[in-house]
Amino acid sequence: MRLFFLAFAAAILPGQALAANQVALDNNVFVERVSTDATGKQRVLLEEPKVVVPGDRLVFVLNYRNASAQPADKFVITNPLPAAVRFADAGDTRPFVSIDGGKTWGLLPEMTVRQADGTVRAAQPGDVTHIRWAFQKPIPAGGTGKLMFRGVVK
Amino acid sequence: MVNAPVGGALHQYRIPAISILALAIALALPMQAQAAGTRAGSTISNTASASYDAGGGTQTIDSNKVDLRVDELLDVTVDSSDPADVPTTPGATAQLLTFSVTNNGNGEESFALSTIANGGGDDYDPTVTQIYIDNGDGVFDANTDTLYTPGANDPTLDPDKSVTIFVLSTTPGGVGDGNRGTVSLVAAAKTGTGAPGTSFAGQGDGGGDAVVGSTGADGQDQGAYVVSAATVSLVKSAVIVDPFGGSEPVPGATITYTIVATVAGSGAVNGLAITDNIPADTSYIASSITLGGTGLTDAADADAGDYNGTRVNVALGTVAGGQTRTVTFRTKID
Repeated sequence: MRLFFLAFAAAILPGQALAANQVALDNNVFVERVSTDATGKQRVLLEEPKVVVPGDRLVFVLNYRNASAQPADKFVITNPLPAAVRFADAGDTRPFVSIDGGKTWGLLPEMTVRQADGTVRAAQPGDVTHIRWAFQKPIPAGGTGKLMFRGVVK
Repeated sequence: MVNAPVGGALHQYRIPAISILALAIALALPMQAQAAGTRAGSTISNTASASYDAGGGTQTIDSNKVDLRVDELLDVTVDSSDPADVPTTPGATAQLLTFSVTNNGNGEESFALSTIANGGGDDYDPTVTQIYIDNGDGVFDANTDTLYTPGANDPTLDPDKSVTIFVLSTTPGGVGDGNRGTVSLVAAAKTGTGAPGTSFAGQGDGGGDAVVGSTGADGQDQGAYVVSAATVSLVKSAVIVDPFGGSEPVPGATITYTIVATVAGSGAVNGLAITDNIPADTSYIASSITLGGTGLTDAADADAGDYNGTRVNVALGTVAGGQTRTVTFRTKID
C-alpha cells in the first residue's frame, strides 16, 4: 500500500487518456489514518484505501491539467457526492455546494433547509449532495491545479 | 494563505498539499458515533466532471472513477432493560433479568452470548440457569421464547437491529435482606473481537474484510437482583386476674394471653398464622379471640380466627415488613 505522508503535492499524476480535448481531470481518494507514536504524538497518514469502514475520513483530491495550446475558459468542476459519503469540508477551496441534488447552488453558510415541520434551519455539511468549483479566470495552456474536499463514510 | 474569490478558485491557486493546520482542525472535530452506517459490501464510487470552453464551445469531461469497497464494521452493545434492581427472595428460582443486544455494525452478524455472575461489587453471586432469546414480544415466556444454546442458536442480527435476551437465575438460600447480586450479559461478534481496528481478512459480510469497531466487537451490561426478605418474631405474654381482685394463679383466675407478631425486613411474609394450644388445666373462654383489638368468632368462618377445642388459630395472611399483628385470647384456670 502506498503511503503519503503529508507530501504528495509534488507527485505529477498521470492524466486521463487525452482524446480530442486536452483538459484532464484526475480523481484520487485517500483515507486519513491517525497513528500515535511512542511519544504520544499523533501523525496523520494519508493512505490510498482499497476498503473503508463507516466513520473513515476520506480526502478527495481532484487534479486538473490543461494540456492544450488554448486557454480553457469557463472552467467548472462538479463532483456529485457518493451517497454513502457525508460531506465534511473543502479546506480553503470555498466551493459552491448543492443540497438538493444539483438543482440549486450556493455557499453552504448561506443555505437553509426547510424541515418537515415548516421551520427553517441552516444547512449543515451533511446536507450537501454536490460540490462545484467555478473558475473565474481561464486556465492557461499548460496550467495545472488541485482541489480537494473531505467526507466521512456514513 | 490567499483566499480564493467567493465560489471559485484562481487557476494558479495551489492547495499546498493538505495543510497540517487544516488537518489538525479536522481531527479536533468530534467523530460522530456511527449507527450502522453504509452496509458492508457496498461500493462507494466517486467521479467528478469538468466543463470548459477552449474556443470550440463548451466541452465536458469526466474524471476517472474511484471505487472503494465498504468493509464490515463489528460493533455491538448490550443494555440492561430493567429500570431498577429486580426483587428476589432467598432460594427463589427462575428470577428474570432482561437485556437488549444491538448490532451497531454495518453487516449481518451473529453474536455469542455469555453471562458473568461473579463479577464482584455485589453481595452474592446469582446462579444463572438459562438464557432465552425473545420471540419479539419483549415478554418472557419459556413456551414461546427460545432457550439459548451457545454455538447452536447464536442470535443473528441485521445492522441496527436489536434482540431482547432473558437471563434466568436462582437466588442462593442463604442471602439476607437487602443483599444485591449482579449478572452481566456479554455479547461478542462471532466473526471476532479485539482491539478497535483489528481486521479479519475475507470474513466480512458482503465478501470484504471485517474490522473491529470502537466497541471492540463485544459488549456487556449488568443487571442486578436485590433480596427482599422478611423475618417474623413472636412475643407472648400473659396477665392473670384472680377472682379476688389480685393476680394470683388460683383456680377460677382468668389468664389473658397476648401474642405480638412483628415482621421485619424489606419483603413480606405470606400465609402467616398464629396457633397456640390451650394449656392443660385451663379452659378456653368462648369468643375471647381478638386481632388488633377486634373480636373474632370461634367458628372456622370468614374471619381470621377460630378455636377447634384444643387450640386457637389466627390466620394473618400476607404481612409486609415493618408491620405488627397483635392477637389475644383468654383462658380460665380449672
